[in-house]
Amino acid sequence: MVTDKGVWSRLRLRLLFTGPTLFAFIAVMIVPFLYGIYLTFTNWDGISTTQSLVGFQNYGSVFKDAEFWKSFGLTLKYVLFTVVFINVLAFLLAYLLTKGLKGQSFFRAGFFLPNLLGGIVLGFIWQFIFNNVLVFMGQKMGIGLFSTSWLSDPNRAFWTLVIVAVWQYAGYMMVIYVAGLTGVPGDILEAASIDGANGWLKMTRMTIPLMVPSFIVCIFLSLQRGFMVYDVNLALTKGGPFKSTELVSMHVYQKAFLSRDYGVGQAEALVLFLIVAVITLLQVYFSKKMEVEA
Amino acid sequence: MKHVKKMKWFILSLTLILILSACSSSGGNTQSANGGQNGSSGGGIKITLLNSKSEIQPQLEEAAKAFHEANPTISLEIQPVPNGGSPFERASTLYASGNPPTMIMLDTGDVAKFKDRILDLSGEKWNADAVEHALDLTTIDGKNYAFPLAIEGYGFIYNKAVVDKAVGGNFDPSTINTTASLENLFKQIEASGKKALVVSPMDWSLGAHYFSLAYAGQDKDMTKVNAFIDDLRAGKVDLASNKVFNGLMDTFDVMTKYNIDQASPLAGTYERGPELLGKGEVGIWFMGNWAWPQISSFDTANKEYGFLPVPISNNAGDYGNQEISSAVSKRIVIDKEKSTPEQQDAAKKFLDWIVYEQQGQDFLVNKANIIPAFKNITLPAADPLGKSIQDYISRGKSEQSMSDLPADHWANVGASMQKYLAKQSDRTTLAKEIQQYWTNVKE
Repeated sequence: MVTDKGVWSRLRLRLLFTGPTLFAFIAVMIVPFLYGIYLTFTNWDGISTTQSLVGFQNYGSVFKDAEFWKSFGLTLKYVLFTVVFINVLAFLLAYLLTKGLKGQSFFRAGFFLPNLLGGIVLGFIWQFIFNNVLVFMGQKMGIGLFSTSWLSDPNRAFWTLVIVAVWQYAGYMMVIYVAGLTGVPGDILEAASIDGANGWLKMTRMTIPLMVPSFIVCIFLSLQRGFMVYDVNLALTKGGPFKSTELVSMHVYQKAFLSRDYGVGQAEALVLFLIVAVITLLQVYFSKKMEVEA
Repeated sequence: MKHVKKMKWFILSLTLILILSACSSSGGNTQSANGGQNGSSGGGIKITLLNSKSEIQPQLEEAAKAFHEANPTISLEIQPVPNGGSPFERASTLYASGNPPTMIMLDTGDVAKFKDRILDLSGEKWNADAVEHALDLTTIDGKNYAFPLAIEGYGFIYNKAVVDKAVGGNFDPSTINTTASLENLFKQIEASGKKALVVSPMDWSLGAHYFSLAYAGQDKDMTKVNAFIDDLRAGKVDLASNKVFNGLMDTFDVMTKYNIDQASPLAGTYERGPELLGKGEVGIWFMGNWAWPQISSFDTANKEYGFLPVPISNNAGDYGNQEISSAVSKRIVIDKEKSTPEQQDAAKKFLDWIVYEQQGQDFLVNKANIIPAFKNITLPAADPLGKSIQDYISRGKSEQSMSDLPADHWANVGASMQKYLAKQSDRTTLAKEIQQYWTNVKE
């Protein structure tokens, strides 16, 4: 029915279904993206009525901006730790909560709950915990580790970010892993037990390979969220103490809106976009190869 | 089949209509909104003010009401800058969306950035009544673009009850004019069983207020201070050997030594400062007169507070040892891009109302606790901190605050100062970091 009609007719049918979405997508994604790329070639400060083209000068400044690369390095470190901890913890939780424990759906809901809070609220809650609750307990009980605020020490402040991210996302990833675990067919596991495979062998040889799609999704999500984190960073540490926990998104924002260097900020955002896109695409490409059929 | 085809066309046209009507209806809305603003609908002239002094939002709304009663044809709406946002950010967003307010309250340093979009106010009557230097920084090529709203000053705020007890008698602020005498006062306060002071570790306080004393204290002559800034940009200044920088940091070392939060100097928040000072747990806090509403809610000293200068040497006569840093910190500008001439006139009328009408002056001084930047307003400041600043200004003991520093100065220099406060860097590193900031800064 569709094939025997002309090009225009087919296009019209497609436009009917995809047109509205396409319109929205172009208006809110493609146009701003292209305009953003254009801005990287200007020296606009965000308000002046005039702006001049400066060629690739902004990209030059990106590579000379030591702070940008420092915060990018910190972000890499942050992403590494959060991805590992989130996924390990989420998998363990999912494993425990598919064992048929008493009240397991209650625990599942409980672990998922942090994910329903917005990053800003969460940041303030944990700021209170790290600044007041832990310090109070540390001083009363004489625990040296907690007697000063973790948020005022550059090293520990970094770990507060990791802890909060793990707490926030582990439950979410757990739900995906639970789905993956329950999707592993029981018959092959049973067959394996009859053949004499122990629990560890079943886990590493059967369950995990069959769950690769869940791992792909979870690692992809945690990677992408790790690189793009801004809200928790803002509410929990504000990049402090003395800019030591300023992750890359925050640096880009500060560059564009605080230093009023819109062009350089936009160029940094684009560089960040390219790097993150490459990393996540590589991750998906390589882990796709590990997928197996039952 | 025919039926399906008809149906398809129907849906297609329906979506089109939906999209088009969505676009056009929003267009229509803005038009009618503009119509309302123009006053063509007969409802009078509607003007807006973007307020970036969030602590006076309720007072401003009251003032808008009073102004409307005095001028029934004009209605004024006050829009707040959202919490945590800067006026520059908000105003540039509003301009980008083609819907700027009639009046914008900006920080001094931002006015020049908006100069293509705002009205030249040189012809207004209040220009002649403004206090000395109030218009210097907003005058570009001989034209003044902004209305000076508030003078703000900062230094060491003392709680008179605590220091009276410490010195045993009536405390005389003029005795504190060297680093040594300040340290002596700290010792006396500690001896009386209280903590000497609280150093609030916010980057804006340390960077924009405390450290900029190192620039302003270079010379009484602002042109020399500006030359010093130019030298910093050019990388020609060696801060580590600069007398004012070292003196200021010597005082800072003394402050660190007597700081109540010594154990974790970066954990403090702004809210902690007024509480400790107001309750008299410490005698001194480094902050400005804008903190009065917070201090007064904890007040135990019968509203007796005042300012001490931040000494930068042990020679009482040096510039800065007896002076309080103050300047006009908030400016109102009028948009000329989207506002109609009627709206612009109404906005000018509002500014005149503040300066020349008894009601306006009452709002400014008594309601909003602002130190006015106009000679013709003779009302005394309503709170002790404002009074103290006014007293220093009237005795000629004021130092121009640095209010046109680059926009990211407070964040970067503030971070370096926090590092120094937490003893994670020394004076050489601090000097180097600040010199580095200045040689890399934009513009």
